[in-house]
Amino acid sequence: MIAAAWTVYLKELVDALRDRRTLLVVLLSSVAIGPAVLVLISQLVAGIEQRAEARIVVVHGIEHAPALRNYLERQTYTVREAPPGYEQQLRDSKLGDPVLVVPPDFEADLARGKAPVVELLASATNQRSLTGSGAVLRLLRGYNQEQATLRLAVRGVSPALLEAVRIEERDLADPASRAAQISTMVPFFVLMAVLYGALNAALDTTAGERERGSLEPLLMNPAPRLALVLGKWGAVASVGILIAVLSCLSFVPGQWLLRSEALSAMFRFGLGEAAAFVGLLLPLAGALAALLMAIAIRCRSFKEAQANATIVMLGVSLLPLVTIFNQEGQAPWHLWVPALAQTTLMSRVLRGEDLPWADVALASGICALLAAAAIAFVARTLRTAALK
Amino acid sequence: MIEVQDLGKRFSHGRGARARSVQALDGVSFTAADGRITGLLGPNGAGKTTTLRIAAALIEPDAGRVHVDGIDVATRPTEALARMGVLSDARGLYPRLSARENIVYYGRLHGLGRAAANARAEVLARLLDMQPLLDRRTDGFSQGERMKTALARALVHDPANIVLDEPTNGLDVLATRALRDTLRRLRDEEGKCIVFSTHIMQEVERLCDEVVVVSHGRTVAAGSVAELKAAAGQSDFEETFVALAFSADERRQQGAA
Repeated sequence: MIAAAWTVYLKELVDALRDRRTLLVVLLSSVAIGPAVLVLISQLVAGIEQRAEARIVVVHGIEHAPALRNYLERQTYTVREAPPGYEQQLRDSKLGDPVLVVPPDFEADLARGKAPVVELLASATNQRSLTGSGAVLRLLRGYNQEQATLRLAVRGVSPALLEAVRIEERDLADPASRAAQISTMVPFFVLMAVLYGALNAALDTTAGERERGSLEPLLMNPAPRLALVLGKWGAVASVGILIAVLSCLSFVPGQWLLRSEALSAMFRFGLGEAAAFVGLLLPLAGALAALLMAIAIRCRSFKEAQANATIVMLGVSLLPLVTIFNQEGQAPWHLWVPALAQTTLMSRVLRGEDLPWADVALASGICALLAAAAIAFVARTLRTAALK
Repeated sequence: MIEVQDLGKRFSHGRGARARSVQALDGVSFTAADGRITGLLGPNGAGKTTTLRIAAALIEPDAGRVHVDGIDVATRPTEALARMGVLSDARGLYPRLSARENIVYYGRLHGLGRAAANARAEVLARLLDMQPLLDRRTDGFSQGERMKTALARALVHDPANIVLDEPTNGLDVLATRALRDTLRRLRDEEGKCIVFSTHIMQEVERLCDEVVVVSHGRTVAAGSVAELKAAAGQSDFEETFVALAFSADERRQQGAA
């Protein structure tokens, strides 16, 4: 039994690894694309950082408000005149900064004690302008505060009277957990790498074997069916894990390419994290390999199997989104769902949190159960599949 | 020796109101002795492939038994398969493996060691005259080359009984002749029990020591070619076969069409 399974395992592994063209495509799509996206995001973040460091306020009509200009410059901000047609440019995302519009009678209204209205223009569809508008709002509040304090001081009132409560902001996230926000995509990419890696081998050893007409002769060997299925499954899971290992390792040098210094300091993905990822993904690779095989063994052709496997692909790619859309954070049931559980645990690794053994065992145990059920199904279906 | 006793098999398709069933086998019996070539001759759909699939433990029969060297296929399929080399209708190879790897893979599944399986591959390559093919990937093989590889794969464990389902399908004249020579040598030099199914008269006439005529899922006649001709009162073997395999009504309908 074990000897037969080992024989099948070696043969299927050799067979899958000789399928160079498919492997190359899988490698390109799952190993190269992760770091590429990482670099793209780093450029975006670097752009935002640059803007923050540049300390520029884009204003239309600053000539009407010399006092405001004075305040902005005292805060070491550079005031820049808004380009003509700035509204359209903001709409088209051509202008990356929000625009402050000052009315002509700003100074006069202020002198009369009437609150002038300034507008801060940004567009919800222009992400960069939205990000920048927070800083400008804080600046304007500071100006308000200064004006109010001066007026009270003139009337001999202590400004502290107005401030019943003093507020100090403190960001509790440590650098690692802030980095996790941008690196949530890493688990997603390695998860898909497992799936893409296993997909082709899983279909080839089941539906492909059936289509070629090699399944019927295979069953005429005096080897137990379970041994055949176990060997095939082992090979499929191994290919999935191989691709996952390569994908995890590709993120390690990927971080050297990060343009933003702050980001590369925050994105902690070393060999330790890569090893933890692979450990978490092992049982999932087993479960996905068995599941794909169970789906494909019922199909008459490779093509039909590909169409059916789309359901698994869709499920695995959509499940991690639960963690993004779910406002309540991590729920206990997340650990009960394969793929979602691994995503959750992997993001904990990225945040530098401890992995409780009970959680890892639960997530892995469910994968093992799923794999066992799917393998049993394939072994049971093998004979009927060979004859159709 | 392969003994087939009174096989019966009914296939059902569909469910509910659309369910249909076909009686594929309804009393196929024959005995194939060692050192002889037994031909299973019958028209398309007569039940030849189903019979051979039951013999190879792929299908369970509704009635009847198959014994291979005295081993009941239904109750001890693994032991029976170890004594049989089956070249079935489906003879797909692994295109990314060489002919040798295809053959050795099956040898390993039959429990041979790597060296033993390799040695068998060499012996079979000589027997089937396919040494130049041995280390090529099977991807671009011709029908004849594929058949040789599949046959070598089926014979890798040196089985005493050889079962072939329409082995000459898709082969040209030279390849068919080579196969015939091989089967004769296996019979004469190694005393194998060989059973093959076909619907080609010529092949049966030239090769078979014993012919079993199967029609409508039943054995309708058995004997040597000469015995069958005598029984049907015909001098031509094709006429003999038509007389034995089809009823008078069927022959008339075919004639009218």
